[in-house]
Amino acid sequence: MGKKIIRQVAIYGKGGIGKSTTTQNLTAGLIEMGKKVMVVGCDPKADSTRLLLGGLAQKTVLDSMRDSEGDVQLDRIMRTGYKGAKCVESGGPEPGVGCAGRGIITSIGLLERLGAYTDDLDYVFYDVLGDVVCGGFAMPIREGKAKEIYIVASGEMMALYAANNIAKGIWRYAQKGGVRLGGIICNSRNVDRENELLRAFAKELGSWLIYFVPRDNIVQHAEIRRKTVLEYKPESNQAREYRSLAQAIEGNEHFVIPKPMTQERLEEILVEYGLMDLVEDYKI
Amino acid sequence: MAKTLDQVRYKCALGGIQTVQSIEGALPILHAGPGCSDKLSTGYGTSGHFAPRIFPCSNLSEKEVVFGGEERLKELIENSLRIIDADLYVVLTGCSSEIVGDDAGEVTSRFRASGKPVIQASGAGFKGSNYMGYEWVLESIINQYLDEIEPAPEKGLVNVFASLPQHDPYWHGNYDALETLLAKIGLKANIIFGYGRGVKNVNRIPHAEFNLVVSPWLGMETAKLLEERFETPYLHYPNLPIGAYETSAFLREVGNFAELDTDKINAVIEENERRYYYFIERFADLFLENRIMSKRFTVASETQYTLGITKFLVNDLGLFPQKQFAMENVPGKYRSDVKSQFKELRFGIEADISFETDGYLVHEAIRRSDYLGYPLIIGSAWEKKIAKETSAHFLPISWPLNERLIINSSYVGYEGGLKLLEDIYSVVLTRFN
Repeated sequence: MGKKIIRQVAIYGKGGIGKSTTTQNLTAGLIEMGKKVMVVGCDPKADSTRLLLGGLAQKTVLDSMRDSEGDVQLDRIMRTGYKGAKCVESGGPEPGVGCAGRGIITSIGLLERLGAYTDDLDYVFYDVLGDVVCGGFAMPIREGKAKEIYIVASGEMMALYAANNIAKGIWRYAQKGGVRLGGIICNSRNVDRENELLRAFAKELGSWLIYFVPRDNIVQHAEIRRKTVLEYKPESNQAREYRSLAQAIEGNEHFVIPKPMTQERLEEILVEYGLMDLVEDYKI
Repeated sequence: MAKTLDQVRYKCALGGIQTVQSIEGALPILHAGPGCSDKLSTGYGTSGHFAPRIFPCSNLSEKEVVFGGEERLKELIENSLRIIDADLYVVLTGCSSEIVGDDAGEVTSRFRASGKPVIQASGAGFKGSNYMGYEWVLESIINQYLDEIEPAPEKGLVNVFASLPQHDPYWHGNYDALETLLAKIGLKANIIFGYGRGVKNVNRIPHAEFNLVVSPWLGMETAKLLEERFETPYLHYPNLPIGAYETSAFLREVGNFAELDTDKINAVIEENERRYYYFIERFADLFLENRIMSKRFTVASETQYTLGITKFLVNDLGLFPQKQFAMENVPGKYRSDVKSQFKELRFGIEADISFETDGYLVHEAIRRSDYLGYPLIIGSAWEKKIAKETSAHFLPISWPLNERLIINSSYVGYEGGLKLLEDIYSVVLTRFN
């Protein structure tokens, strides 16, 4: 019998688009399906596992490194959250000092050395901060790490602009490794014709809209209580949506090397779907 | 495909530590990774009161890279001030701290605000070579240490910026020789590098009557900055004067710029040339009748020597430049001026100069060239192999220099020209054996 392959998944998207919320609710959905999941937060703010852990009490990988003179223990940095979800936060320097990108590299390297990637895991999710400003934030999709990427987007121009830029990064790494785009996840902002726009956008990238998560204030209600929607209101419509997203990810076989588009083509699509006014609004 | 640079002749900008170390009383403090100082201290002549292996260094590790190293630097400076008695503390920031973005300038400015002579200069290797590092150290001294001094020009005082300290094995001798030459025509050289000079001469920089850059291009940024800051005019003499012809031209030009008495200059020149040609005449039989050495030569060195020695060997000795190489990665903006210098030779001769940083390519060019006999190759230790292959007369003079010891000798001036002849013909004469 061959060695079990852990599905390593990186979630990218514009800052504030809802990557962490989506990742944690999706994780909860997969766990309910019996999957073993580890979430690695790759953001110096260290808020990627808050809903799974019920708070921010966790010591980050880099905090441990800073405080312990190199003698870091896995049980100090990995906490178990909602229904056994393994949670790790990379952490990082204070804003304005040091190198957060290098922090991600250091942190993931340390997790590997400490044996965090155990064979019982089905999934590892990397929740990466919004702006992939340097090579460090591309660490999760380098060779040997996440092979599967999902981009969280909405029907707003800047979200799609960021998604297209991220696709450029994926394209670059796809040329020399096995990393592939698994699809676009729409975290709806209730923009007009959002579903159609996202489908067209994903198609233009050569990918697909794997799931459309509707907007529902229950997400905010759950967040304020430091819970995923699945924990807060398991029977709600939104909980069902996240479960469906988890099923879509679990069954996904549609992995591509994306074809990023030009800014002109992106704007053409926006115009086509009636967002011309928005384009004007976003011009600086 | 990545370009491989073979047998390189320069170091990274953190080589500015050699510039700092050459100023007596100045201490380099490295905000860099472990090993940087040691790697840059190759060669002889670096031990002393402040030596590379005792230079304070923050030894940046992954922790400082991720979280920033400013606190570590602050602590390092505090401890350096406590235990090492220096007149000027120069923090040099290496690659890792500059990529991470540590604000070392701000850290050092806080020390200055409390009256401590602590400045910061960039030494990031990705930004340039040790030649750049030299200019950046001087720039920091001018902008951060001398910034509040009101210039009071002193007649006849001349700041001299010439050879790259320590990297050029003859740096000390060159500065001494230039000082002696200037003294002959009544000027007082203010040099900051070498024995008995140091920080006290740094303090005199703003008070010079003019700045003298004796170098093809190195030091020009410093001279321009000094002109801007203290309104000190500068004279750029692009050629290191070696032998009678060039040294006399040098004295005339400096004298003219300083508006000195022409008759006095001419008298100095006449006396020195008389002595110089007395020796040339005594050994003329060797120079004229030796037919072992080809008339064709190559200098593969930093531009100050490639140009200076080419001029000497053509103008004074009547040899012919076969193929010349300027190897310190001359900045693009200076290349056309440097190139034109190689056209200003006597007898209507022009030298073929290449700006080449790759030793392998230089050796290939030498290999393909026909010297019509045993060539004369002047370069560094890297030329030993090609010299052997071409049965050349070989004189290594520039970094890296492994098999010769240079303490304070020089090829500059009338005496320097004779010294160069001694060294070249000492090699030539070995063929008789």
